[in-house]
Amino acid sequence: MLTATIDEGEDMGRRRTWGWGLGIATVTAVTAFGVASWHANAAPSPGPGTAAAEQARVSDPDPGPEPATGVGRDALTSGEVDRARELAVTPELAAGAEDVTGAKGPEYLSADVLADGGGRRAELYYYDYKTDKLVKQVVDLKAGKLAESYSAAGMQRPASEREVATALDMLLADPLAAELKNAYQKATGKQFAGKDGLTVKAHVYKARPADTGAADCGKHRCLQLVVETADGLFIDVNDIIIDLSGRTVARLK
Amino acid sequence: MTYRKTAGAAALLTVASLGLAASPASPAAAAPAAAAAPCATSTMVKETLPNGTTWQLCWRMQEQAGLILEKVFVSSRRYPEPVQVLDSIRLAQLNVPYDSGDTEYNDITDYGFGGWNLQTLTGDDCKGGSARVGSDGAPEPQRRKVLCVSAEASGLAYRLHGYENNGREPIYSKQGHDLVLRAISKVGWYEYVTEYRLHDDGQISARLGATGDLSPGDYVSADKGWPIGKGARDYAAMHYHSAFWRVDFNIAGKGKEKVEQYDTKVNGRGSMTAKLKTTKTTIAKEGSFSKVNRRWWRLVSSSSKNKDGHLRSYELVTGADDRYEAHPETTPDVTFTQSHACEKYATGNADPQCASKKSILDFAKNKETLKDPVMWVRVGFHHVPRDEDQSPMPLHWQGFDLLPRDFTEMSPLTPAARAGVNGQQD
Repeated sequence: MLTATIDEGEDMGRRRTWGWGLGIATVTAVTAFGVASWHANAAPSPGPGTAAAEQARVSDPDPGPEPATGVGRDALTSGEVDRARELAVTPELAAGAEDVTGAKGPEYLSADVLADGGGRRAELYYYDYKTDKLVKQVVDLKAGKLAESYSAAGMQRPASEREVATALDMLLADPLAAELKNAYQKATGKQFAGKDGLTVKAHVYKARPADTGAADCGKHRCLQLVVETADGLFIDVNDIIIDLSGRTVARLK
Repeated sequence: MTYRKTAGAAALLTVASLGLAASPASPAAAAPAAAAAPCATSTMVKETLPNGTTWQLCWRMQEQAGLILEKVFVSSRRYPEPVQVLDSIRLAQLNVPYDSGDTEYNDITDYGFGGWNLQTLTGDDCKGGSARVGSDGAPEPQRRKVLCVSAEASGLAYRLHGYENNGREPIYSKQGHDLVLRAISKVGWYEYVTEYRLHDDGQISARLGATGDLSPGDYVSADKGWPIGKGARDYAAMHYHSAFWRVDFNIAGKGKEKVEQYDTKVNGRGSMTAKLKTTKTTIAKEGSFSKVNRRWWRLVSSSSKNKDGHLRSYELVTGADDRYEAHPETTPDVTFTQSHACEKYATGNADPQCASKKSILDFAKNKETLKDPVMWVRVGFHHVPRDEDQSPMPLHWQGFDLLPRDFTEMSPLTPAARAGVNGQQD
């Protein structure tokens, strides 16, 4: 009943004399609201608003297992990422490029479903530390082949976990580690006892015109670390820049 | 949700038993199933709000942009045929420079909202909603609870006290609801909430919320900060959050929207007050634009019309905004560019396939003709810290609305008894 009243408008005039009416509009309302409202309709209700109108719920579907492949522009599945990575690293790239550890092969950064076109295509990004170039490999997953390849210098994307770990190790091995240890002691009141328990992430750092000490960053791949202790305290090492390409640690300002 | 599952069947049954058709079109629930699925069942959100409006969309998480909505369709009880609104909407940058001049971050392109920075929903993150499991978009993707889907009351949708010739005085009063999609990303000490609210009247609101904690290291001199500890000692640095969204419409699946700008200016005097004149400027080529008083923009379908014969469109509605004029990229309010797949981020765009296209200014530089326009919306917030920002910092929000303009010939929430009120009444 109430559903109908809401949809038709609560008739202030008629309500006084006839009570609750059932008009054509009621049918429309009931139709859309379905079973719950239909039953509710059987008896008058004390005021405007039904349980259906007040409680807005959404479905909570079971996600099921991860599919082998996505549909349309769904995110790449882990299987698709694995397959795409096999196809993206050509023998030339594997032999000619260099990763963040100095080993042969490009540093894998990320994979994304390609936003244009039909089929399932993926674009994969790598960094070649030998040439300081960002590499983009477009893979056709359906055809099972590398479709396009691009590279450019002076381009940076977010850091991989291995790059962040490498940057932290470089900092800890550098005299500037004293600043991290001091900041740690200041924040926690305890002496720095190693990297265990730290959560470390990083911004990619690109030099601004006024920067000193890290002027190559942007052309080089550089990171600015965000260090968090197990207790959720942040250790301020914002002024320290780790140049992964140049293998140097520098201080801004 | 059994309630909704039974609604479709019940609707047919009700119509049949009363011998009346609610609408000449097929029920909303049946129509989308006929088309090829644009995404997997697990990455589709399709929910009907209490007023009968159904939103359907696909979602995914991307390492840098975080939450991306795609293939967004809307239908309603009054207009049960699902009609596409957006091809996609996503964050396109978050630039955070500090007033000290010594710190600046680009949180989307140099850090990322997706992947390992995307938070697994827990606690009250998705209270009353459904925490959906999907890929986090990481280089080695994990399936986690990363998207919150909920339906939330949005207050009074409309109210009208009618007076009819027969003496009836119907009161039309309706509670509105939004379908809300939300994801949380942790960027250092800040935690950002990406939120899209799909209203039951067809409006879409895009917002970015910031919580977490203030920067632990950025304490500055008195003229660049605000004292938030005891006395006047700890001046937390003022800073900016300039957010960009990339909005790609695909109205009724036909694309090729036209961009129009409207300006209303005082133009002489009438017998009582000023005359105002509104003019339309068609934006045919790429470019960046900014607000002046009463200026607004809309994207109009070049072919899809509502039943009144009006071309369907969505209007950009901007509200609170602090413009960061220290960067040319964060100065304009909106930029329209021709759609190109490798133009993904408003600044810091790094794609070797189009190496010279680094920002919206590069994208728009050659003033290409807009055949399939992409709208880049910038909204800035200058954050002056306050005592209450500790701790955790209460959410502060910035965003904009996309308002349907002539998308349907009347409000999708129009009650049946008002169905005849379309245009000037006798």
